[in-house]
Amino acid sequence: MSAAIAPANEAPARSAQGRKPGLAAWIGYAGIGAVLLLFAFGSPFFLTASNIATILTQASVFGIAGVGLATVIIAGGDDVLNGGIDLSTGAVAGLSGTVTALAAAAGAPGLVSVLYGVLVATAIGIVNGLSVTLGLRPLLATLATMGVAASLELVFSQNLKIAVSGSFFEAARASVFLGIPLAAWLMIIIGALGWWVYGKTSWGVNSYAVGQNPTAAQVAGLDPRRYRLASYVLSSALAGLAGTLLVARLSAAVPGIGMQILLDIILVAYMSMIFSRRRLVSVVGTVLAAVFVAALDNGLTLLGVASQWVGAAKGLLILLVLASVTLRGRKNR
Amino acid sequence: MNPAQTLAAPPAPAPGSPTASSAKKRGAFQTSRLVAPGTLALILIVFSVLSPVFFSAGNLVGILGQVALLALVAIGLTLVVRAGGIDLSIGVALDLGALASAWLIHDGYRAWVAVAGGLLFALAVGLVNALLIVVLRIPAFLATLSVWFVGTSVQQLLTSGGAPIYLSAPLVPDGFAVIGRGYFLDVDAAVINAASIAVAVALLLGITRYGRKLTMAGEQPSAAKISGLRINALIISAYLLCAVIAGFAGVVLAARSNGYVPGSGQAYLMDAIGAVFIGATISRYGRVSVGGTLIGVVIFGLLDNGLNLIGLSFFWQDLARGLVLLAILLAAVVLGRSKGQPATGIFALLRTAQRQAQSTTVKGSTRQ
Repeated sequence: MSAAIAPANEAPARSAQGRKPGLAAWIGYAGIGAVLLLFAFGSPFFLTASNIATILTQASVFGIAGVGLATVIIAGGDDVLNGGIDLSTGAVAGLSGTVTALAAAAGAPGLVSVLYGVLVATAIGIVNGLSVTLGLRPLLATLATMGVAASLELVFSQNLKIAVSGSFFEAARASVFLGIPLAAWLMIIIGALGWWVYGKTSWGVNSYAVGQNPTAAQVAGLDPRRYRLASYVLSSALAGLAGTLLVARLSAAVPGIGMQILLDIILVAYMSMIFSRRRLVSVVGTVLAAVFVAALDNGLTLLGVASQWVGAAKGLLILLVLASVTLRGRKNR
Repeated sequence: MNPAQTLAAPPAPAPGSPTASSAKKRGAFQTSRLVAPGTLALILIVFSVLSPVFFSAGNLVGILGQVALLALVAIGLTLVVRAGGIDLSIGVALDLGALASAWLIHDGYRAWVAVAGGLLFALAVGLVNALLIVVLRIPAFLATLSVWFVGTSVQQLLTSGGAPIYLSAPLVPDGFAVIGRGYFLDVDAAVINAASIAVAVALLLGITRYGRKLTMAGEQPSAAKISGLRINALIISAYLLCAVIAGFAGVVLAARSNGYVPGSGQAYLMDAIGAVFIGATISRYGRVSVGGTLIGVVIFGLLDNGLNLIGLSFFWQDLARGLVLLAILLAAVVLGRSKGQPATGIFALLRTAQRQAQSTTVKGSTRQ
């Protein structure tokens, strides 16, 4: 009995035939390597230490929020219409940034104001999680809270840019440890923690089980709602943290930025599939995807590509990733 | 199918859900179906009390004119959701429809050329969606999300970086202007357009064989396929029709506003999704319908207008909209749950967690 269950526990497989890694497992890495090589040859600045630090800093916001979204997709399943999705993550990041900036402007110490931002974000995550555990579709629940968060941001900021100053935010922006900026360290630490929790602990394995096959997980005695509620709260809290990082980087809370970063966060979380042999969303894959998307943005700009093409390139990139994933899935059937 | 399917996530958390769903079908009436009309009535009453102008004929007719475009977009989306998909690129179809028609009018073409051009441009968006979703089998949400990305870029490229097109009113042919700004028997042309499309789509979904096939393809794809329906063709047709209707909304927008502003279509997306799923709550089967969608659209229209009249700032409107949407959907899901099903929610969650903890400890001890 336990022998039959063990393989499923070790790695939640989408299909039994997907066991052989084959060539396809390396397509993701190969494609990314090719793109990065192109940039490295195209621009002499691309591989300089300061540019890499910039890329990592840019990646940190999407990476951290993306890890949150990845946990939602892991515990909710990757079918977007019915499964796990958090559309509110961008708006929550914006709201948290605004709250942080307002608190800092009102004179709260840096760390405390960040805490306020993350707390407000977590509150929205609890609303998301409860709505979903009550049985509402995640797509609709988070659509509604997205509207609420975006509008709260406008109400708090009166649609004005709120500048932040002070040594705390300057330190958060400028401090570098071992050549890597603070924001990037945060992303690496969160990625490593997420890798450990979702790759090595029973919580993580159970989360995958609940997402991949809720009925089977339920028969096995797991309650999907517990894992899902936690994932929505985590997603919003991480989005809140990402929002405060964005404020530190821009030295201001800019209203309406949430909608702009939402697409990137979704892109990064789904792109993590190409780093997984079994085409599953994963935490480490999300961090890698965030670095790659930031490098893509950066590299295209360095090559002198006009900004309107960058959006098109990103859209085509998601399509490419998804097409490769689904084509591979069909082969297995 | 499970009645609450459109709203509630299908992996039903209750172990006894098969019996629960049959119990729901036998039940005489679900209170959850009254939530949306009730909210509509509540909004009407509250704002009538708060503002003297609100419940006047002039204002209510004006609201219809304001929501006509949203109604068109939401009706298009209704078709796609009925076919079991979703279309996030609907704003792109609207924008491209507006762009092409404004462009053609700007270059001096006749009205019908501009309308046809707008619809064709929008159709291209629908074709891309259908190709990605049906041929490449990419999940609809992600496929249309990337079309949204790419479409935004395409607009910027076509307008050399996002420059709006303005039409000078005297040069616009009457045949084009009348689509968005005309009046027939004192009724706004946009309202007439939206109403006629609404009636057409409602009949299409409600009484034709095509409508029934589309519903089957959306709700039971495998069963529909086995019984010999060409579900791929049906789903493609839904995305094409949706894009054309959104493109028509774009043409109306261009005629109404005498021009085209890049990226104006995406503003309708969230409201349209909200309206469609609010509409699903009035159906016994949780099925989206044109009538329900229009109720959702009117709820948003009345809410916006009422908040404007009582002088609440623009910033608060989205908040109210989001809260009303969340409240309606949650109320419908909670009320729609039959009594046979075990209670869910935070208390039940805690209880099951506790039970689970006990059972796991028991299991652990037996294993040793």
